[in-house]
Amino acid sequence: MTGPVLLTTLFPGLVWAMAALALVQVWRRAALWRAGAAAPVAWLDGLAKLPRRYLVDVHHVVARDAYASRMHAVVAGGLLAASVLTALAILPPLAGSRIYWVLVALAFAVTAVGSFLVGARRYPEKQKRLSAGRFQILPFLLVAYAAGGTLTALLLALGGGGGVLAPLALLLAAAGGLGLAFEVRHGPMRHAAAGALHLVAHPRPGRFEGRPDTALQPLDLDAPRLGSEMPADFTWNRLLSYDACVSCGRCEIACPAFAAGQPLNPKRLIQDLVAGLSPAEPAYAGNPYPGGREAEGERGPLARLIGPDARIHPDTLWSCTTCRACVEECPMMIEHVDAVVSLRRHQTLERGALPEKAVGPVTDLRQAGEPGGRSLAARTDFAAGLDLPVLDGRDGVDVLLWLGEGAYDLRYGRTLRALVRLLRQANVDFAVLGAEERDTGDLARRLGDEATFQSLARANIATLARHRFGRIVTADPHALHALRNEYPAFGGHYTVMHHTAFLLELIRAGKLVPNRLEDVSVTYHDPCYLARYNGETEAPRAVLDAIGVSRREMGRSGRRAMCCGGGGGAPVSDVPGERRIPDLRMAQAAETGAGIVAVACPSCTAMLEGVPDRKAEIRDIAELLLQSVEAGR
Amino acid sequence: MKIAVLVSTGRHPVSGATVLSRLEAQAIRLAAGLGEPLGLHAGPEQAVLREALGQGLVRGEHIVVPDGVDPVPALAARLAATKPDLILAGRRGQGGDETGLVPYALAETLDLPLIPDVVAMASDDEAGTLRLDQSLGRGALRRVLVRGPLVVTIHPDAPAPFAYAYGQARRGTIVPLDAAPGTVEGTGPTVEERPYRRRPKLVKGAPTGGSAAERLKAATGEAGTAASGRLLVDPDPDEAAREILAHLRQIGVLAPPTRPSIP
Ligand code: SF4
Ligand code: SF4
Repeated sequence: MTGPVLLTTLFPGLVWAMAALALVQVWRRAALWRAGAAAPVAWLDGLAKLPRRYLVDVHHVVARDAYASRMHAVVAGGLLAASVLTALAILPPLAGSRIYWVLVALAFAVTAVGSFLVGARRYPEKQKRLSAGRFQILPFLLVAYAAGGTLTALLLALGGGGGVLAPLALLLAAAGGLGLAFEVRHGPMRHAAAGALHLVAHPRPGRFEGRPDTALQPLDLDAPRLGSEMPADFTWNRLLSYDACVSCGRCEIACPAFAAGQPLNPKRLIQDLVAGLSPAEPAYAGNPYPGGREAEGERGPLARLIGPDARIHPDTLWSCTTCRACVEECPMMIEHVDAVVSLRRHQTLERGALPEKAVGPVTDLRQAGEPGGRSLAARTDFAAGLDLPVLDGRDGVDVLLWLGEGAYDLRYGRTLRALVRLLRQANVDFAVLGAEERDTGDLARRLGDEATFQSLARANIATLARHRFGRIVTADPHALHALRNEYPAFGGHYTVMHHTAFLLELIRAGKLVPNRLEDVSVTYHDPCYLARYNGETEAPRAVLDAIGVSRREMGRSGRRAMCCGGGGGAPVSDVPGERRIPDLRMAQAAETGAGIVAVACPSCTAMLEGVPDRKAEIRDIAELLLQSVEAGR
Repeated sequence: MKIAVLVSTGRHPVSGATVLSRLEAQAIRLAAGLGEPLGLHAGPEQAVLREALGQGLVRGEHIVVPDGVDPVPALAARLAATKPDLILAGRRGQGGDETGLVPYALAETLDLPLIPDVVAMASDDEAGTLRLDQSLGRGALRRVLVRGPLVVTIHPDAPAPFAYAYGQARRGTIVPLDAAPGTVEGTGPTVEERPYRRRPKLVKGAPTGGSAAERLKAATGEAGTAASGRLLVDPDPDEAAREILAHLRQIGVLAPPTRPSIP
């Protein structure tokens, strides 16, 4: 019986050795994270919530790809169960039980099935969005560990294990298992260790509490260095989060800039942050930045990340529309937009390296409170001939209508006129700030000019403090996001509603009575800053349904909608690509066959209306509602 | 090369906010191409100097001069003491108390030449000399070779200013200076202030009377001075080139031929 006894020690010993090796590898990795800046982390809270964050939040994202979801459940569940069970067999009563070994064999068999599912995504041909490199070896390691484990456990269950088969099986399991543990430092298995830690120490814990935690975090303008210049400028838990990236490429296929052939690929960007931190990182093996620029420059915690001669080209940075599609799709809960903005902050605040074309608008924002350098009093010009009450001197109103940048735009002025007329019809007690309304600073903030944003935010908050109003309604989701989510950090707390939600309220209260526009087919384009940043996807659709139009959905809609290309200062940065983002989006809209694309944002209106050869009309929800309300008269 | 950039308290043309005037920001950019410029401001506040630090200046000197007092004597005293090779200023004021006369007054006081409306600057091969491109309007440029010290004013066609960088504004240093004794007095030239009034544009050679159509013709070049041009339809390239050269010579962009051209 020496054979089985030896085996019952060696086999659990192998798993313990794997655990030890993995721990060493994580430890080596952690030395890199420690290069990052300090960050407050609620460890105990995070640890307690880890299972829920994994099973609910991560699973919610993973499940969007049914195959990947099943594959991961089987292979990860099997691997974990088999390894833990085997490790427990170090206890003699368990080691002596044949039933127990049957259980272990079963767990390994499940892992083996999962391993083949993993392999099927990569062989004979790799799915396009996945990375090659060390990831291509993963299925073999898994199969070796799972098959070796199954065989060994079976031998033990059968009471055999004295022959030549046992050492061979154990050797196979050891090769695969130790290989997997070794890969925790540089290879695919890093995602498991870093991913779990990342869920515990996530920089935006609010994400898991069911509310959109999307406000950019305020920058301390007195900090010794502003923004991130090098990997060490990121907080340590951000560095950890980039290590969690499993190179699945889901962000890449969601990214509008990537689709338009601009030099941005969010997966590559995250991998560049990983590789920028560690010179020992193996070469990137996924799709490149469109345009195919190779990484250059030095690497290491203190190496400059951005520059024409550095790892990441500035054009990559300025291509991002901050649409958060990548964040929405990332199963590892990585916050790409925070990384982009942090890097931009350094470029803008420390180096004055804004894209050439963005300098004008940002300068005007700083000097005139308006990115076009126009007079603030001219903001209400769109309402010529309409009776538009101004709040100044009035004794408080129910609704403060925040006009936003769109008011200066001739086309969008039509939308605002429609909205004003609807509010009049519903007898809403409302007013605007008139010449007192400054820009919210959204553009400056997305472009990294936190100083200008903060000074505009403070000025607006001071203005609003002088007036009495119930709530703010705005038709501009960018203004809404700033006012609702970003101003609280500076002491401005308001109830802010998007005009679609407010109009729905008026309809439900019977104050607006829409007539049915039966013969109109509409597809609704979700603005990123409303749907993804604020989770509001239902109100606009409910308004459309109240109008009775036949509503069709695009392939990508709601929280997963594609950006129009208008956010994040991308239109003013204007990084050239092979295609234009709004053209791509209009092509998606055309697939629905709808005659009207309904919008709910001034940027979307401008971007989508600017598409040449457009078959569909662009109409704001307010315009459609006005048309239907007036149809009865 | 020692370069001083004069920084004034400008007004944003629309918002009226106190800002660094765009021309001076452009001056800083041009100066940065030649060396490290020093900003010089005389006035009660240093805020605008701070802004200039964010747009490319590294150091600024702030001569404390009370509101309403002529800054020229204080500036002149400081410039006479530091003796920069090049003094840059905007070509005209931008609201507020600005008259646009300061560079001229300084040039006069310091007895320096003044070259107005410069759009580009470079050091010439010969040490100490500068190559300046001076705008003559409508895109015409004149290149001048000069040797300092001198005062130069900047034309709006110069390269756009650097973007403002908050971190650089924070890092730069401002040295507060007391005005030289005896320089803080007088309110400068008395100027009469009148609200802006749009004036009709005079078109040279346009008929003073005449119908609207005739005046339009004159303005768009189908009569008056520009009417001397000739319309060539589908000309032979050589002929076209000759016509263009002749025209450029006529309006003085090209020098007349040095030797008789071969017919
Ligand atoms: S935020 Fe949008 S544009 Fe920016 S990287 Fe992510 S998906 Fe691409
Ligand atoms: S960043 Fe997220 S979505 Fe993108 S490749 Fe990495 S894990 Fe996948």
